[in-house]
Amino acid sequence: MTMVTTEIHDTSAREAGTAEPLAPLRRAARLEAQLGDPYDPANPHGLGALFAADEQRHPPEATEQLLTEFGLSAEFVPAEFGGRLTRADHLAKVLRPVFRRDLALGFGYGITSLFATSAVWAAGTPAQRRFTADMMLGGGRASIVHHEMAHANDILRDEFTAGAAPGGGYELNGRKDVIINAARAQAYVVYARTDPARTPYSHSVLLVDPAETAGIGHLPRVPTTGMRGNLFSGLEFTDCAVPGSALVGRPGEGVALALRTYQVNRCVIASTAVAAVDTVLHSAVRAATTGRSRPLARRWHKPLAGVFADMLACDSMATVALRALSLLPDRTHVLAAAVKYVVPDLLREDLEELATVLGSRGYQRGTPEYGALDKLSRDLPVAGLGHAGTASCQAVIVPQLRTLAERAWFREEEPPAELFRTGASLPVLDYRLLGIADGGDFLAASLVESAARLAEVRGVGGQLAFLADLAEGFVGELRALRERCRAIPAHGSAASLMDPALCVLSDRYALVLAAASVLGTWEGQDGSDPFLAAPAWAVLALARLGGRLGIPVPDLPDGCMEQVLEELMRRYRSGRSCDLDATELAQ
Amino acid sequence: MTDVLTDLADLSDPDSAATATATADHAHRISAPIHVSGPAGPWDEVAQGMALRGNAAVYTTWGEWLTAALAEPALRRLLGRDWLRYRQTTDATIRFRFVASRLAVKYTAAAALGTDPTDLDLAYKIGGRPYLRGFDQIDVSLTHTDDLIAVGISSTGRIGIDTEPAGRRLSFRLLQDQVCTAAEKAELGALPEAEQPAAMLRLWTLKEAYTKALGQGLRLGFSEFGFSNGSGGETGLLAPDGTPAATGEWAFGTYPVLDRFLVSVACHDTGLGSSRDTSASTMLDENFLTMVSGLLDQR
Repeated sequence: MTMVTTEIHDTSAREAGTAEPLAPLRRAARLEAQLGDPYDPANPHGLGALFAADEQRHPPEATEQLLTEFGLSAEFVPAEFGGRLTRADHLAKVLRPVFRRDLALGFGYGITSLFATSAVWAAGTPAQRRFTADMMLGGGRASIVHHEMAHANDILRDEFTAGAAPGGGYELNGRKDVIINAARAQAYVVYARTDPARTPYSHSVLLVDPAETAGIGHLPRVPTTGMRGNLFSGLEFTDCAVPGSALVGRPGEGVALALRTYQVNRCVIASTAVAAVDTVLHSAVRAATTGRSRPLARRWHKPLAGVFADMLACDSMATVALRALSLLPDRTHVLAAAVKYVVPDLLREDLEELATVLGSRGYQRGTPEYGALDKLSRDLPVAGLGHAGTASCQAVIVPQLRTLAERAWFREEEPPAELFRTGASLPVLDYRLLGIADGGDFLAASLVESAARLAEVRGVGGQLAFLADLAEGFVGELRALRERCRAIPAHGSAASLMDPALCVLSDRYALVLAAASVLGTWEGQDGSDPFLAAPAWAVLALARLGGRLGIPVPDLPDGCMEQVLEELMRRYRSGRSCDLDATELAQ
Repeated sequence: MTDVLTDLADLSDPDSAATATATADHAHRISAPIHVSGPAGPWDEVAQGMALRGNAAVYTTWGEWLTAALAEPALRRLLGRDWLRYRQTTDATIRFRFVASRLAVKYTAAAALGTDPTDLDLAYKIGGRPYLRGFDQIDVSLTHTDDLIAVGISSTGRIGIDTEPAGRRLSFRLLQDQVCTAAEKAELGALPEAEQPAAMLRLWTLKEAYTKALGQGLRLGFSEFGFSNGSGGETGLLAPDGTPAATGEWAFGTYPVLDRFLVSVACHDTGLGSSRDTSASTMLDENFLTMVSGLLDQR
């Protein structure tokens, strides 16, 4: 790899079609340094100040200002249109310093604008891209106005209708009460119903410029239990005339655009949520070690090492998917849904496990040392959108299961090795290339090959043999899934796909993909990090995934838990993040 | 229907008794446990509780499920991965209680999901918390003591349920350091000695219910969090010093059941304003489903 020292090289790399990896990592380090020591009570961007803003239910003004000066919004604009977005995995790395401190800030300041504008990057006209890029590069915001989805919660409930206006264009009508940043966005990306019929072509995306639109009513701010400082409020459109040029993509393309662009959102949410839980893990280690001269109490070994292993598993899964968006943009659909299905759920359980370690310290709300658990326990469900968020992922996985069983599992080729190699260069993320429902599954192929390679070294014994057995267990699960999924009737109607048994299968399948990510990530290590190259973390992560899946998992081999715990302690003491990157944290 | 002993989230302002009475049913955040006597339910009150408050709790005795369990041709399918454990349990009482409790969870969940109980996979998280694989619209919790089985389900967030025989005497003197926070010790210590065991039992079941809601069993120390005595105050969960530990997301209730048991329920609300519709048949978005399957059919 060539050393690149200036941002200018970004351009040349882009022209060559690959994204230069160092500049985003430098920006991430710079942002981490600018945000400063989270535990310093005098730091205006420290956890104390951020928790206080949450308590007072307003966005943290000083830190938002810092992010504006940093130009965070430019991270959401593809480099092609003047921004800094080149790769989704790099975007997540730049965002992590924010999310480690405040998940709600990451949403409220930033990534919801990415969610909103993604349809424009995927299918907008040059004029729409120009408008959106200028607005974002000027520090503006966009709000995503979702259409109503099944089992909707407050955020996904209600939708707008867009009828054909007499003189051309559209007339927007309707009311939606809970939209993030509705009162301060410079653009609305509205998934509006353009056809009353029950078809997947019933919705279209409209890019609405509130400054140019009459008839928009602003509804009052809505207080929320989670992300209390974020500005959720409602919009009411009454016979709002919107020009035909506001249409993003084709008429009726709304649902398809949602499916295409949500892939990125899903992976980014999962990856940044890992960073948020990182801070709680650090505070749990602090609780277990502070004021204690003796070694860590035995009863905390399992929860601490276990949560650390889960976080590495979650990061593996999210990172593989984020990289796949660049490398295999037309083949990542089902994986992205599985990532969003598995990761927030695992992390929520991890928070509960950490709550036991924190004990009564967890109630020291508002303190930088221990307040993260209380806040994140409220914020995380909002990030994942709860059951409605999960169900929208299941709605993507369930209809693909039969095809995957018939055509992909145990048939497809392994993905390119660059998918798992941290330093490998990847193509630039291009929203236009994102495909849906390809019917393939490169990660299942990777699982089968990982297991086969491990089987060859099983004779070495110890943790490696154990890892080989675990891998084989997941392959066995995939085989069982294939049998079950082949039995799903072909050309199923929506009604036949609502069979509850399929939701059970999609859950099992998503956990198998998590295991595949862990194995791929472990195999992809180049040895520069001896801990990640050793099998202990993968063994522990897979054992826990196996437990969730209900496949038999024997007792862990000697030393496995201890090695993971030792690394956790090392990272805590040296101030490093508990993800795959072991990033140096501001102190 | 049982009487509410205390519903901590719901201690109305004593000065506005008239308002409290008028809205009592809506003000209760927890549905009081209801009796079901086997696979036949009745399940409509479960549906009502779910629709009204987003949670429901049922209790039953294992004897009521025995005939149905033994006569059930689909028992193996119904038990799923629990079948082996059932077969390997030699003690008859434990075995029957095990099968009855699993059936009770599945039937209760099926009532909320609108599915056949045989379609459901009752699985267990790392900390031992049971859940319905693939259906995160509901959380479940299970408890039993003697012949009583109780199940809690919720669509708003985590739920934990615990029961103890009402006559179980927990010594305040012996257990206070293990079970009570400093604030609770002071509060219970001030009670007449004869009232202490009942107050301790109530606390014990509440604490069990909360730790079970977190899915952590007894791993979370009982003296790390507390409750008010139920005679005043508006909060549910308290820090050891007696100050509120959370911001109203949790609600707790304790109920006498069958004159012999005490049941406590801990219920979390994530505040997402989740759909009260928990049916499995409506959860997958039709637009997404149709679009994806349509594209695959073309390939």
